[in-house]
Amino acid sequence: MTKTDPEVRIPDPIELDRLEEDRLRAVAGLTPLHAGSGEYAGFDQVGIPDRPPQTEREREVYSLDEGEMLINMGPQHPSTHGVMRLVVKVRGEIVVDIDPVLGYLHRGIEKLCENATYTTVLTYVDPMDYLSTMHNEHAPAIAFEKLYGIRPPRRAEYIRALVVELNRVFSHGLMMGFLALDMGGLTPILYAFINRDEIVDMLSAISGQRMLFNFFRVGGVNFDTNDEFLSRLGTWRSHVLTNIEMNEHMITDNEIFRSRTIGMGTLSGADAISLGVTGPNLRASGVPFDIRKAHPYSIYNELEFDVITQQGGDSYARYLQRIAEIKQSIHLIDQIIDKMPHGPVQAQVPGIIRPRPGRAYAAVESPRGLYSVYSISDGGPTPYRFRMRDPSFISLQAMPKLMPGRLVADTMAIMASLDPVMGGVDK
Amino acid sequence: MAVERPTTNLPQPTSEAGTDPIIIPDAARSDELLQPFGMEEHPQGGFHGLLEVIPTKADYVLDLIRANSLWPLLSGLSCCAIEMMSTATSVNDIDRFGMFPFRASPRQADVLIVAGTLTTKMAGPLVRLWEQMPEPKWCVAMGTCTTSGGRFKRSYSVVQGVDRVMPVDVYVPGCPPRPEGLIYGMMKLHELVKQRRGEWSTYVDRGPQRTRWEGDVR
Amino acid sequence: MRLLTERLGADLRDLWTDEDTVEFAIDGDRNVEVLTLLRDDEELAFFMLADEAAVDYGVDAHFEVVYHLFSWKHPAWLRVRARVDRSDPRIPTVTHLWEGATFHEREMYDMMGIVFTGNRDLRRIYMSPDYRSFPQRRDFVLPDDAADSPAHGVNPLERPETWDLSRFRDAPAVTFPPSSERDDAPAESVTGGETLADKSRPR
Repeated sequence: MTKTDPEVRIPDPIELDRLEEDRLRAVAGLTPLHAGSGEYAGFDQVGIPDRPPQTEREREVYSLDEGEMLINMGPQHPSTHGVMRLVVKVRGEIVVDIDPVLGYLHRGIEKLCENATYTTVLTYVDPMDYLSTMHNEHAPAIAFEKLYGIRPPRRAEYIRALVVELNRVFSHGLMMGFLALDMGGLTPILYAFINRDEIVDMLSAISGQRMLFNFFRVGGVNFDTNDEFLSRLGTWRSHVLTNIEMNEHMITDNEIFRSRTIGMGTLSGADAISLGVTGPNLRASGVPFDIRKAHPYSIYNELEFDVITQQGGDSYARYLQRIAEIKQSIHLIDQIIDKMPHGPVQAQVPGIIRPRPGRAYAAVESPRGLYSVYSISDGGPTPYRFRMRDPSFISLQAMPKLMPGRLVADTMAIMASLDPVMGGVDK
Repeated sequence: MAVERPTTNLPQPTSEAGTDPIIIPDAARSDELLQPFGMEEHPQGGFHGLLEVIPTKADYVLDLIRANSLWPLLSGLSCCAIEMMSTATSVNDIDRFGMFPFRASPRQADVLIVAGTLTTKMAGPLVRLWEQMPEPKWCVAMGTCTTSGGRFKRSYSVVQGVDRVMPVDVYVPGCPPRPEGLIYGMMKLHELVKQRRGEWSTYVDRGPQRTRWEGDVR
Repeated sequence: MRLLTERLGADLRDLWTDEDTVEFAIDGDRNVEVLTLLRDDEELAFFMLADEAAVDYGVDAHFEVVYHLFSWKHPAWLRVRARVDRSDPRIPTVTHLWEGATFHEREMYDMMGIVFTGNRDLRRIYMSPDYRSFPQRRDFVLPDDAADSPAHGVNPLERPETWDLSRFRDAPAVTFPPSSERDDAPAESVTGGETLADKSRPR
């Protein structure tokens, strides 16, 4: 057997390339590239922590007591929320503290939107919260209409509400699927995706795209409903409740699911408001705050619905809240279909709008919470400042409150019940 | 100091199949029997001798096995990941092509489907994943963000195409590509696998593909 | 909403009302007192911080930190604009009022460089921790992607002097079906003039 000499350290292939590159640069008389930490995070930041803590909170998280250990649940992990890095401080199997590291999907959308015309901005915001694209477009559309001083026609408002509620149905359905998937159940996600495929084919009939629908315009929507959309809507509506209930029965009374979610990640109402958590997470903690009722926009004051809340504030309550909201959305869709008026679907606006200088704030209820847009116009063809407040981003602050005390395996379950979507978190 | 690159242990196409078979073929003739597999121009085709059936066809079988059970790595970064999951689930099913297990660990994966926008912060971890994957490995750039930066062309933090950091075999355009489009890309990848035309074996690090300015991050 | 003038009269500046928003501006140093008053007062009761944003008004001008608040008792959103100096961009934090402001303030620090004194966790959230610039400032401009490629200029499409604009000016009005398949006389070429589209094209 060959003896391995412990003194000789075989370098990592990554380091071999870097050493070679530094050697070649030294030969050429250039400075070595890899002396300090580079702009690309990941290669140099392999240890936790790799640099001294800069802030109080960082010091608190990264200082280890007896028996504690830092585990990195890295940007690529099987939980399908996208790319987020959680540095978890554990003692044994129990989580003591966590530090979410974000920004692995930061695409600079706000800066890009400052150089885009108002209609183009509506396409840039699509991939933010990519599971609720219509909501992402709804808020800027309302904000730009406020800036421009017009209201869309009533049929456009009804179509907007219809597609927005359809989007909410499949987004909540996917949350149910992902919650079960993160706990190991592989079937509900398949059912959720069947449901999503039906709805998304329907929406592709009306907007032309399966996922990042470029459907809203300043002043209305782009296309009117057509035969294919309506026939698919009818087919879907006739069997959606049975599908949802089938999915629900598989999960809700499941012993494993119940024991893994009841009592986990309990968030009180006051804590939730202080943390900025909104949407189904807040309503599951008992606070009846729904933007559609609290500050109605679009045609929501003409539709009848109640604000649903749950008591408990744990993961199970958040799950039940979303199921109840799916049923509420289907009820809303029925009302919208009954009440939809005839008329144009887009107001007459020029191709490039130049609103008067001013500021506008518009908030909509997205499946993850309060999604709002603050836009400043300076009279030109592009917005001066375009700011989006994403609900998942703020809801993630609840994690360091919910996870300590739980096991490592529960971190994913709790995070899945908060339903973050990294596209929105990182903009 | 001596810098040694690790060599691959991949079995190369056997050249001892060049002995005269029982049926003497014309070297330029394409093999009709392999036509249903799209492999009639395979370099090892054309030999139908009895003794050469097993050793020469081992290479085809090996390539077929590789192609028909490509295990993807769960590398869904963004919106394209949802369409990748939609391709993997019931309506459009890539399980019928053998790609059911989306492995969480790069050590067990064959193909890295980069689905979603690659940002400068994520570039490091993603290349680390790629390097951790054992060979043979292939890379599919799904969506326009990974092909060329896509709709984020002028962004300060988006890598303008994943081929700036790793070798890509198949580009699937779309924003996001339809599941059928991704399946078509997978079929193209199957062709590459069977013809041994992957990029990983021929990848040469050409360095940054444009002048790097001071403070430049893309 | 006239309650605001009586409670905050000294700090209020530029009060503005719309059908669904009330907005006023304050100095950056007073933001904690103003927001505490807005939150704790029984009649105002703006219990929820909906959004905290930063605006950069230009290299010579100031920053603004904009808070949007919500209350059950008032049907309008309240917008509080706190002015921050550009030369010394510091403003007190509101994390002790709303813990959810932490991420907002981290993002504002990361993107604009506004320092929130008192924030326990002021580090970069989107960019890498060793990133040296503040992307959303007005003076942050990236060089054009194509222009600094070593292959710039090889492709004739990247060189304006090779563009042949006459093929657009002399083109027929209709280009489909291809001319080989057209059986009618080719239409007259449209002479270029100034149209409404030219007026509304961004300069």
